[in-house]
Amino acid sequence: MRLFRDSGILMLRSLRESMRQPAIEIGNLFIPLFFFAVTVGAISSISEQAFGVSNFTGFQLPVAMLQAIAGSAVAGAGIVNDIQKGYFDKLALTPTPRPALVLGRMLADAVRAVVLVGVIIAVGILTGAGMESGPLGALLLLVIAAAFSLSYTGFAVSLALKTGSNQAVQLSFLLFFPLLFLAPAFAPKEVFSGWLEFLATINPVTYILEGSRSLVLNGWEPDRLLKAFAAIAGIAAVTISMTVWAYRTRKV
Amino acid sequence: MYAIQAEQLARTFKPDIHAVAGIDLAIEPGKVFGFLGQNGSGKTTTVRMLTTLLRPTGGWARVAGFDVTSNGGAVRQRIGVALQEAGLDEVQTGRELLTLHAQLFGMGRRQARERAEELLAIVDLTEAADRRVAGYSGGMQRRLDLAAALVHHPEILFLDEPTTGLDPISREAIWRYVADLNRQGVTVFLTTQYLEEADRLAGEVAIMDAGTIVAQGSPEELKASIGTDVVTVRPAGHDGVALKAAETLRRLEGSPEVRVVGDSVVVYIPEGARAIAPIVLLLTESGIEITDITLARPTLDDVFLRKTGHHIEATPTGAHA
Repeated sequence: MRLFRDSGILMLRSLRESMRQPAIEIGNLFIPLFFFAVTVGAISSISEQAFGVSNFTGFQLPVAMLQAIAGSAVAGAGIVNDIQKGYFDKLALTPTPRPALVLGRMLADAVRAVVLVGVIIAVGILTGAGMESGPLGALLLLVIAAAFSLSYTGFAVSLALKTGSNQAVQLSFLLFFPLLFLAPAFAPKEVFSGWLEFLATINPVTYILEGSRSLVLNGWEPDRLLKAFAAIAGIAAVTISMTVWAYRTRKV
Repeated sequence: MYAIQAEQLARTFKPDIHAVAGIDLAIEPGKVFGFLGQNGSGKTTTVRMLTTLLRPTGGWARVAGFDVTSNGGAVRQRIGVALQEAGLDEVQTGRELLTLHAQLFGMGRRQARERAEELLAIVDLTEAADRRVAGYSGGMQRRLDLAAALVHHPEILFLDEPTTGLDPISREAIWRYVADLNRQGVTVFLTTQYLEEADRLAGEVAIMDAGTIVAQGSPEELKASIGTDVVTVRPAGHDGVALKAAETLRRLEGSPEVRVVGDSVVVYIPEGARAIAPIVLLLTESGIEITDITLARPTLDDVFLRKTGHHIEATPTGAHA
């Protein structure tokens, strides 16, 4: 009970922080939308002949989503800042359950991700991406956004706890970009050459992307959705273990 | 029951840095205990162990009756901690920060707000309450940090160098709050590198050097333990003249203890007033000119010097011989 209550209190603190630095959130929204516009503008007219995707706007929408989620994953950086300022110690001296210190910031990331993805879905629908699965599907996209955000941000959080260093946390962004682009971001996996197709097949981001895409382009495809959530659960299993390990072995 | 008790408390950092090399503490409730030492003497490491932020690698410590290792939660409920270099979230306002802390100590929203309001008044930050902490001066940040440590009415307050780097007025303010809290029955464990601070606030002082406690007692006891007056002589002239002067002064009657500190020579001698004339005479005979000579009762600084072989680096006023 204390864990949920205190995580909520710390989440609100973290959100207050973003409200006071609005430029950062505007950047987090601008970058994915910019790539979205540019990619759609460049490729949509040939996507049909090139690889049989008629609605390239809808095809790109989940890519913008994932980019926004990665961009809004600042829990790790926030924790590093707290550690360096000495504020993390201050929080650790309260009787709050230890995991709340981490969970509060992660939940704030999830909230930010949901808000940004909401805006991106709205822009997508306005620009003709469509939403074959209807409003419920759009809602499920927000759930995917929250779940992926929580699982993904854990990676930077574990590095933050372990090292207390911003450089290490920056690494997590380095990790995400290959993952996003070793997934079928711009074209379906079927047109990839052998080695890239192999990498895309073992990349969990592929399944999150394809699951989200199926909601936009095709309607309800339970097996794809199941795979998407399985991929998120897989990432979460790794990042949660890393976070627990980082906290236990944290150098003080 | 002691408020703070420790036996052979130690912390070794890899590979073999003995930051704290086995210290014993027995601090009674209601006292102000001053923990005096230079940077790197192990003060902060001791505080971090006593406040459950750092695991000891040897010995044990009990704070408010609970073991810091096995019962950290119970300890944290009963202590307030203001760490060195006020650890604050600069994006929040003072009021938000205190409210947040009160909530994390289990208070409801409303109660937390009221407590924040009370504390803001106590540390004179009511006017600045709705400004972001980033805009606070160093003194204001320390006061806010102190207020955050008081949210839950702690029995024991740990202050790690609470006034380092502050101007004299802010320092006075912190000293006043600490003295007030102590009058209300709060035990205070204070680390400092300012002798004046220890002398002013602490009923009992421990001097820490290189990870061990080298002297302990009330400031008066410690000063009396020197048993002599202190005559400080500054000879005129080139480098090394102090050494030569010290050599000479060791020949004084009763062969007093003589130390060279920077460009001065410190002589520990009983009945210092009577010793001035022989000192001047002896130096003049040896051809050493004197720029300055002072006689003083021993200070904590002299105790520190005697026990550790060096001066404590900093003083709040920057003005000791």
